[in-house]
Amino acid sequence: MAEPRDETSGTVSEPLDLVRLLLDEVVCVKLRGDRELKGRLHAYDSHCNLVLGDVEETIYVVDEEDEEDVKTISKKSEMLFVRGDSVVLISPQTVSF
Amino acid sequence: MSFFGFDTSRHNPAATGFSQAHNPFAGLSNREDEGDALEFEDTYDGLGDQLDETGDAFNDDTFGDTTVFESKPVGKDFDFFNTTAKVANAIEEEHVRFTRQQPTARSSQTVPQAAAPAAFQHHAPGSSSYGHYSQLPPSKPARTGYEKYSSEPVAELQVDAALWGVAPKKQTQAAVPSASPAPMAAAPARKILSLEEVEAQMRAQAKKTSQQATPSPAPPVAAVPSGSQTQVPPMHYDQAYQFAQHGQPAQHADTTGHDQGAPAGHGHPITILQRPTSKPAASPQPPTQPAAHARQQPSGPIHPTQILQNPNRLSGDAARVGMHQQSPHGSYPGHPIHRQQGSFSQQPQIITHPSQLSQLNEEEKAAYLDQEAKRAKRNHKIFLMSRDNGIMTPQDKSFVTRIQLQQLVAATGNPNEHGTDESLTEDFYYQVHSQIQGSQRQNPNQPLNNFAQTYLYQTGSRQGGMRRHHRGPENHMQRMEQQVQRAVEAAKNKPKNKQLVIEGSLGKISFSNAKTPKPLLNIKRAENPTEAHRPSSAHRHIDHVGDRKSDLRSIESIYTTLMKMEDHDRVMPPPPANDADTEAIQTFVAWNSEAQILNNQLWESLRIHDHPDNGVVHPFIILLSYTKGMKAMQRVSRHLTHEQRTTILTLILVNLDSLDVVRGAQVTPDSPQPNAAMRENVELFIVAVMSTLFNILNELDLDLVAGMLGLVCSRNVDVIAKSRVGASMLTMILSRAEIIKHGGGGSEQAWHSWDVTHTQFFDLIEPSLPHTFPGPVTTSDDIYVWQLLAALGIGASPDQQQRLVLAVKDRVMDTVALSKTLPQDLAAQRLQNVNLFMRSIGLDVELLQ
Repeated sequence: MAEPRDETSGTVSEPLDLVRLLLDEVVCVKLRGDRELKGRLHAYDSHCNLVLGDVEETIYVVDEEDEEDVKTISKKSEMLFVRGDSVVLISPQTVSF
Repeated sequence: MSFFGFDTSRHNPAATGFSQAHNPFAGLSNREDEGDALEFEDTYDGLGDQLDETGDAFNDDTFGDTTVFESKPVGKDFDFFNTTAKVANAIEEEHVRFTRQQPTARSSQTVPQAAAPAAFQHHAPGSSSYGHYSQLPPSKPARTGYEKYSSEPVAELQVDAALWGVAPKKQTQAAVPSASPAPMAAAPARKILSLEEVEAQMRAQAKKTSQQATPSPAPPVAAVPSGSQTQVPPMHYDQAYQFAQHGQPAQHADTTGHDQGAPAGHGHPITILQRPTSKPAASPQPPTQPAAHARQQPSGPIHPTQILQNPNRLSGDAARVGMHQQSPHGSYPGHPIHRQQGSFSQQPQIITHPSQLSQLNEEEKAAYLDQEAKRAKRNHKIFLMSRDNGIMTPQDKSFVTRIQLQQLVAATGNPNEHGTDESLTEDFYYQVHSQIQGSQRQNPNQPLNNFAQTYLYQTGSRQGGMRRHHRGPENHMQRMEQQVQRAVEAAKNKPKNKQLVIEGSLGKISFSNAKTPKPLLNIKRAENPTEAHRPSSAHRHIDHVGDRKSDLRSIESIYTTLMKMEDHDRVMPPPPANDADTEAIQTFVAWNSEAQILNNQLWESLRIHDHPDNGVVHPFIILLSYTKGMKAMQRVSRHLTHEQRTTILTLILVNLDSLDVVRGAQVTPDSPQPNAAMRENVELFIVAVMSTLFNILNELDLDLVAGMLGLVCSRNVDVIAKSRVGASMLTMILSRAEIIKHGGGGSEQAWHSWDVTHTQFFDLIEPSLPHTFPGPVTTSDDIYVWQLLAALGIGASPDQQQRLVLAVKDRVMDTVALSKTLPQDLAAQRLQNVNLFMRSIGLDVELLQ
């Protein structure tokens, strides 16, 4: 680990290469429509279409009567395909053992 | 013939036929001209009073017998331009012919008169002509008439002489005689007045008129001749001349007294009118000579000069020259008559004496008129173009040219410049100064720069004898050409040093010239595209300290390489059937080499050979802490050689206690279970990695297995044993040795070393054995511990077996006791697990129950 290594195949040349590093990792995905996903990233493509495993989906709903009150609805899916146009953000999830 | 029909303002300069109608000489004879002539008379003042203008009856008396001249109608189309300096030769010819044809002395008189108008015409357009003309009379016979030019480099002005093809000498001739006649004006015998005298009178009148502001007498006068024939003029001339003389004796005298030269020059404008008068007066006299001279004047180069010259400048020049006529010059331009004539001057200026025309036959006349018309057109054009002439004096032009040359030289630069005197050499004013002072250059060897050579020397010489040249103006032109030529040559010869790089400066100083303008910005783009990636690469370097992203990147590279290798495997060519199939062999070799490259690539990305600093976990071990790193192991091992796999196994064993799944999944009977994520990882590790390692281990010989165990002994066995992965690994190694023993493999020496190692290992692990069980006895998932114990028990000596029993006796008894409370299946399962160990040491759970 001391000496720097030239990783020809591991260089980051585009943003999606960073996403690639998250393959098989648990990621947090923010979606349009006040939704968030948290799950293991199995696959992605250039459109940010994602395949997530063991997904926990969180939906933030604003109460119509009381604007201050925000409800969250959680769903769990074993496997989820996310269409890329709804993806706002992908971030790595720090895994705590 | 009608004088009234002539509209001066509308006079068409280009009209050739105009000449006859406007015979100025004839006009005076016509009594009916009076009305129109009134202005003209006013101009003359004195003349008008003395004349009897009331009727035509006395015209004959006054002007002589006009009928003689009327034999040939003059016509309205008298062309004043007929006489032009350009056509000097033609005019000369005309004059000669005219002179011959005129039998009497009067004719001779006429000639000068005719010539006078011509001269006047020349000068009329630009008042400048006056100045020029005035110079002729001055009693300096030797003068060429170019004196004023010689004083200054008036190249532009003089150039025309050559153009017109008239030799300046003629001027000289004219001037010589003119000087003498001038005094005669004052003399009693006025009738013999020379042309200059007449002109002087006219000038005097003009002055007077100007003061009175009487407008345009001249044009009408010009029109006067309408009625008269060509021959008429001679008669009129005499009378008119007399009138003029009588009317203005005082003025005339005054003028002449003022300056000798003046009369000729200034008289011109009025000359048109006067000429007729002078003619008769001259009749008795034989002023033929002056007349001849006067005749010649028009032929001279004067004409062009007039056109090109700027009146103002001319006057200025004259003033500078110090000519006699300074005062008249100043006054003249403003004179009404002059103005009139100025306007008139746009029209053809050259008036040949009408009589001359009459002498010609029709063919000649037509040709002549045509020629005159052309000339008139051209003159008109030139006149129009010449309006701005003289705005700049020759000095001004020279000055501007000097500056331009200087700039030119400065722009091109002088590469020869060097040394401390460079600045001085380059300094225009210094050069001028030194040139003027005649001082030596500090360094004789230092060459003057091009500019100095080309221009300054010239300038210096100009101070000297240059002026002596009569052809000064021409020389000036030549000088200019030479200077420009030299400057251009200097620019050509100059080496192309477009840039000057000053040491220590941050940029280049680039020179500009007309062809390559100076670029104001000289920005060089970074040519190295990798520069853009520098930040990320630098970041990556930091990552190597072991952060997550770097690990992930390594894993990705592993996968990338793996995929390449798997692709490559699919295209593996069939092994060559025989040695003869060279193509197949080549293909196979190529494939092998490619596979080798990929293998090296993979091996590199596994970072097996990295040697981390103390206290830092080996990168490969870190890779195994990622689930995808673990998952990759099976595929990786498939593409590695036996040695590489062994190396991996060794590495893992050496760092066994550093493994996440070992260090982070420590379990003791008293401690809580690891979290779900870790348990998952442990499961994954066991499935993905342990199986791989098991396969690897199964290929090893006993000595290597013993070595592996020895490596484990060098680590923290307690930690290893307390983890499920660690325990499983130990079990794996021990069982492998047992399998080898059962298989009869292994050398004596190997077994010996194994025994030693095993004993050492047993001693290390014995204290930890009671604590290796995950959770309390109720925990069901403890089979791996029993497996380890069984492995230990099989290979243990009786003494070691005894110690084993002692170490785990409590756990065994508790499990047996617990099994009684458990359902049948679970109880059987638990007892089964315990029995693994019990049977390894020759016992059975049944015995305990």
